[in-house]
Amino acid sequence: METRLPANFILRLREEFPGDVITTEPSELAEYGRDWTRVFLPAPSVVAFPRTTEQVSRLLRICSQARVPVVPSGGRTGLAAGAVAAHGEVVLSTQRMNRMEPVDTLGMTVRVQAGAVTEAVHHHCAQAGLTWPVDFASKGSSHVGGNIATNAGGVRVIRYGLTRQWVLGLQVVTASGDVLELNGALEKNNTGLDLRQLFIGSEGTLGVIAEATLKLCRLPGKADVLMFAVPDVAAVLRLFRAARTGPFTINAYEFFTDRCLARVRRHRNLASPFSAATGCHVLMEVEAADPDALAAWLMKVMEEGLATDGTMAQSSQQASTLWALREAISESLSATGMPHKNDVALPIAGLEAFCVELEQVFQHRYPGFEIALFGHIGDGNLHINIMKPDDLDKGPFLVRTREADHELFALVQKHRGSISAEHGIGLLKKPYLHYSRTHDELALQRAVKMALDPLNILNPGKVLDV
Amino acid sequence: MKILVTVKRVMDYNVKPKVKPDGSGVVTDGVNMIVNPFDEIAVEESLKLKEKNGGEVVVLSIGTKDTTTQIRAALAMGADRGILVLADGSVDPDAAARLIKAVYEQEKPDLVVLGKQAIDDDSSQAGQLLAEYLGLPQATFASKVDVAGKTVTVTREVDGGLETISFDMPGVVTADLRLNTPRYASLPGIMKAKKKEVKEFTPAALGVDIAPKVKVLKLEEPKARQAGQKVPDVATLVGKLRNEAKAL
Repeated sequence: METRLPANFILRLREEFPGDVITTEPSELAEYGRDWTRVFLPAPSVVAFPRTTEQVSRLLRICSQARVPVVPSGGRTGLAAGAVAAHGEVVLSTQRMNRMEPVDTLGMTVRVQAGAVTEAVHHHCAQAGLTWPVDFASKGSSHVGGNIATNAGGVRVIRYGLTRQWVLGLQVVTASGDVLELNGALEKNNTGLDLRQLFIGSEGTLGVIAEATLKLCRLPGKADVLMFAVPDVAAVLRLFRAARTGPFTINAYEFFTDRCLARVRRHRNLASPFSAATGCHVLMEVEAADPDALAAWLMKVMEEGLATDGTMAQSSQQASTLWALREAISESLSATGMPHKNDVALPIAGLEAFCVELEQVFQHRYPGFEIALFGHIGDGNLHINIMKPDDLDKGPFLVRTREADHELFALVQKHRGSISAEHGIGLLKKPYLHYSRTHDELALQRAVKMALDPLNILNPGKVLDV
Repeated sequence: MKILVTVKRVMDYNVKPKVKPDGSGVVTDGVNMIVNPFDEIAVEESLKLKEKNGGEVVVLSIGTKDTTTQIRAALAMGADRGILVLADGSVDPDAAARLIKAVYEQEKPDLVVLGKQAIDDDSSQAGQLLAEYLGLPQATFASKVDVAGKTVTVTREVDGGLETISFDMPGVVTADLRLNTPRYASLPGIMKAKKKEVKEFTPAALGVDIAPKVKVLKLEEPKARQAGQKVPDVATLVGKLRNEAKAL
């Protein structure tokens, strides 16, 4: 449904805010109206770049009075079109809200504005020997506000959990422009409902996150980065079983197939450390107190044939090169073709059975298609990427993936999984939400949305329809 | 062919070095140490030559007992055995060259391969001094090495282009950045490396006096850079360049 701006609405915004806050420049509209997805055409009416919570509040008050929908937008690295503005909305970008307060080393917290870039927060905290352990490939662009609004996952979830666990306090601006301070910097606060958690993962549909008090932890100790060659997904899981009881803490356990690697090679010219093609690569990062115990464990892995080949980074340069192979996958798939992305989660114990049946879905729905499979398999999280064949147009390709998704998600449902592990729902997965949420759950989610945003001006059409 | 390749233990170049408060050196405690990257390239080239021509690759390093880690890293890549010359404190390029010469005389290799320089002091002297002391031909800054029979042909990166020279073995080659991309140490390689022989010598046993001829007087941090300034227009910029920077 197209937004109809009231007369002189943009003029009013321009009068209300300093000159550089409001833009209607076509190139800016196209840029700030979309995320990393390329399914919908961006078409916002206005982009606003507030600097302060007060400006966010004023903007929402005006939009609320005028019934103009608002799409909150951070680093726009989302993969579910949650930050896409395709219907003349106002985009509220946190781009200029990037102030970071000094780190509280005693409380191990830091308060930042929503637009602080994730990696900048890491650098800021590292000076105090601390870190915010939310980490993923797009950390150089993503904003803390977006991380929180999407309850972002990433590569260290196996050790540290999701973003949700690392947010102490939130400052949220409601749809009507009221400013809420939720939980402050309290580690313990047992006083009724924890509203803060409601906004974490709400994808901008309940309120706009303006500032956050982040919970920090010490920088992890010296990590060893290992890469293994294994023949197939079943072998990836066998090796994981052995790693679970290994003499170390697992920081990350990631895998990708040779198909992903081929795309990475095309885009970034990075090469596998192994000379022969293998099937799957496993990237494991561990913190081992006793290097000899790690060495003994590795020896056992090789002797028992749990991996056909393996390497251990001998320098930080090698470690980052091995990580680059994994982290370059998403951008390489998009740069060299058009992927249809799925991001599913399964109970880890059921992954193997799921993967066997998944193969059948592929054969049935996508015969001869290139399927790039990778993910945070230690969390039960699989990224399934169907690449558009060059001789198939985008339209028919999308029709095909839409149909196939139903079969895929029915399989996920059967194995008690989730249709979106960490990407969120946004616009892309909205038609499939019912595979992971019951009718009653959806009704309650609608009731919450109506209570917080009765006019439905916050990111309307995302996650669920009201 | 038998190849002697040297590796130096240096600070990981992703670590920002800090000067000790007394200016006597840089802080190395708790800092990650690696094989000098140019030496890693030298090891890779030695392994390639061995794979092509057969023979043996012997890794040599000079340093404290901890330096065994860097020798093992080269053994994990595929070198056959190691030699560690135990030395505390700094060993200047001249002392290093004389120690390598002493090992050369014991081992009698066909070829000595070194990195063109170490990334810590950037001296780029050991290879040249070694060739001089041994009276052997040297081919430094190699970007390509071919061996045919007794003849080694080396392409060197020099100012203004490439130079191709050749010599008959024995001789000394130093490796430049574009010579190759070093392989990763495989896990089986890392395991095997633990069992490979690493012999230890003292400089005295080799008959070499390593008292430094070069004395480091003082190290200082570079001056902190001043923050940049934003100027509103070209006229102000020109004014500042003229009056403050005195560049015009």
